[in-house]
Amino acid sequence: MTEVARVTQKSARQQGAGNIEGAEHTSGAPGAEGGGEVSSRASGSPDTVGAEASEEGQGGLRGWSVGRRRSVWSRIRLTSLRLRLVVVFGLVALTAAVSASGIAYWLNREAVLTRAQDAVLRDFQQEMRNRASALPAHPTQDQLQRTAGQMANSSQRFSVLLVAEDSGGRTVTGNSDLGTFTLDDVPSSLRTAVNRRQPGSSGEKPTYHLYWQRIVEDGRPYLVGGARVVDGGPTGYMLKSLEPEAKDLNSLAWSLGIATALALVGAALLAQAAATTVLKPVHRLGIAARRLGEGKLDTRLRVSGTDELAELSRTFNRTAEALEKKVADMSSREEASRRFVADMSHELRTPLTAITAVTEVLEEELDAETGSVDPMIEPAVRLVVSETRRLNDLVENLMEVTRFDAGTARLVLDHVDLADQITACIDARAWLDAVELDAERGLMANLDPRRLDVILANLIGNALKHGGSPVRVAVRTDGEDLLIQVRDHGPGIPEEVLPHVFDRFYKASASRPRSEGSGLGLSIAMENAHIHGGGITAANSPEGGAVFTLRLPRDASSLVEDGGDRADGGPGGDGEAADAGEGGER
Amino acid sequence: MANVPSLLLIEDDDAIRTALELSLTRQGHRVATAATGEDGLKLLREQRPDLIVLDVMLPGIDGFEVCRRVRRTDQLPIILLTARNDDIDVVVGLESGADDYVVKPVQGRVLDARIRAVLRRGERESSDSATFGSVVIDRSAMTVTKNGEDLQLTPTELRLLLELSRRPGQALSRQQLLRLVWEHDYLGDSRLVDACVQRLRAKVEDVPSSPTLIRTVRGVGYRLDTPQ
Repeated sequence: MTEVARVTQKSARQQGAGNIEGAEHTSGAPGAEGGGEVSSRASGSPDTVGAEASEEGQGGLRGWSVGRRRSVWSRIRLTSLRLRLVVVFGLVALTAAVSASGIAYWLNREAVLTRAQDAVLRDFQQEMRNRASALPAHPTQDQLQRTAGQMANSSQRFSVLLVAEDSGGRTVTGNSDLGTFTLDDVPSSLRTAVNRRQPGSSGEKPTYHLYWQRIVEDGRPYLVGGARVVDGGPTGYMLKSLEPEAKDLNSLAWSLGIATALALVGAALLAQAAATTVLKPVHRLGIAARRLGEGKLDTRLRVSGTDELAELSRTFNRTAEALEKKVADMSSREEASRRFVADMSHELRTPLTAITAVTEVLEEELDAETGSVDPMIEPAVRLVVSETRRLNDLVENLMEVTRFDAGTARLVLDHVDLADQITACIDARAWLDAVELDAERGLMANLDPRRLDVILANLIGNALKHGGSPVRVAVRTDGEDLLIQVRDHGPGIPEEVLPHVFDRFYKASASRPRSEGSGLGLSIAMENAHIHGGGITAANSPEGGAVFTLRLPRDASSLVEDGGDRADGGPGGDGEAADAGEGGER
Repeated sequence: MANVPSLLLIEDDDAIRTALELSLTRQGHRVATAATGEDGLKLLREQRPDLIVLDVMLPGIDGFEVCRRVRRTDQLPIILLTARNDDIDVVVGLESGADDYVVKPVQGRVLDARIRAVLRRGERESSDSATFGSVVIDRSAMTVTKNGEDLQLTPTELRLLLELSRRPGQALSRQQLLRLVWEHDYLGDSRLVDACVQRLRAKVEDVPSSPTLIRTVRGVGYRLDTPQ
């Protein structure tokens, strides 16, 4: 009975009024004037609107939930352009399909129902006019029963119920098919409407209208209509099953649903295709960007077409070009400054060679016991000698650094006894009294003895200078690696300086006197460790004092074979070849 | 050598030439100088010095080329003065026949020590001889013959052969050879040994690429064997 409310509010009048007018002519009843609003359309439209509204509500809900889901997915890294495209395509297709089928369904429904209803009501009206109005004012039960049967016998196959008052004032009813259609089946609202006497328009006699309503009983739709014969005639009701129409409409709804589903599938496939066409260039762009990030600055995209993606590719290419140019500029500038340092230290070397040779002559003159140098001049000569030596060291270190920067540094490997090498290094610098060596003899290593000496001299010299004696040097092996630990007993290295101790020209504080060294020693030591495939770490010992740990591979020959032989195909290279050639002989 | 050794210094830079000449003269050498390779080669023929100190970077023919030309006719010791100790410079220099090298800026004392060490290599010390296959080493005459023919060896090559022949069958490490032959300290450049061994093999071996006399001992150094 859900439809009652709808009908009671919108009492059908246009169609009904027209028909009643006809009935009124035949029955002598004054025709009702003034067509009202159509009930059917009115009853239908809120339904449609309601359906649409709920559809919209659903769509809105979906949109909301998609938005919600998207935020969730983005959090769990599931979102992708492909997924988004599929969702958007799906939503568009769903909206279009649902609204199109909804409109089609309701238009159809109204057309079908209205046609069926009009036919039935016209028939019923005809029967009322022909048969019911022919009844006497107070018919008997039998008369009513018979007339109802005759009326129901029309082509439209509806059930008829006639209600009247007999001569005794009792209410009698006539029923076309006994027991199935009673007054209880007629909604009371319809009964009230039918029995209401309509005031005749412009003072004419009051009249009654034909009213109808759609009801659902036991899940089956029915059309119920009712009218009263004017001037105390019987009231007639008809009941017509709308099931065939409902079936037609159901199958229509099914087809529309299937069409919608197909449209959704099609939209998903289209979205996939669209995503692929969009994503392929995007994927290529991604690969290119990654290559660019890896430093392959000559990466370019092939530009085809004139769409936005092509424009993007073009932009990418321009950016990469600009980047490449910039990097090239910077590296050439860096190269130039590096070459400047190399050239400068090389140029310094020539006059320095002459000065060094001459200062030695001066030094010998000082050391000679004859005292041939003026005592006033002697400090000046000593200063020149010592500063020349410092300048020599600095230039030598600069040359060493430029060799590392230019990548021309090479390892010259030899098999050496580590303890002997370290002892010799300490001995050569007269440090034997200040250094404790903890190393076993017989520990052989294949490395560059000159570079090892540079590293050790810098580490031990640094420890002596900043830490104070005794400096402890310990040699250990760790698998295939050598660990040489240089520990001093000084105050240690301040935490903020620790990360910078291997930086070039890094001074712990600006106030530190410049005579501490070239500022390159530890960085050169580090470079020399690197070229062996090793490294140096600096730390503070818990017992106080700084600890430098040098890690070198015991056999660095694999490095030499990889990156240019020890002598670039020179005699050393031949020697190695001979080594390899004779290896099997022994 | 009783008489004062005479040196030929070939160096294009006036200041260095003057300073080194001063320094070396004070160390007791007789020094002749030349500013170009061409002049140097002319002086070599005129004065027959005991040793050449040769700058690598020269206008005209460079030090390497001078070295090669000298080696065609003479076996006198050559010490290279390299301005850059780029490894390639050193290798090329040793390949073209130099006996030793020093890197600028050089200290006069170091150069003097090297000069004396090189000159000492030609001094005889004992008077016996040894035979290794077809090679005969006559220690009294300081000559080496192969199949009866005199081999032209530089003093360094000769000294290397002598040191190896003194301990036949025993492997000597490169560092040991550097001390014995070049009188270098513990930091000697092992490429000196390798280069010299290559040159020596080229002269004494039948097939230098598959040596039977001076053998490489992998991981150690070299040894002199009597061929079977």
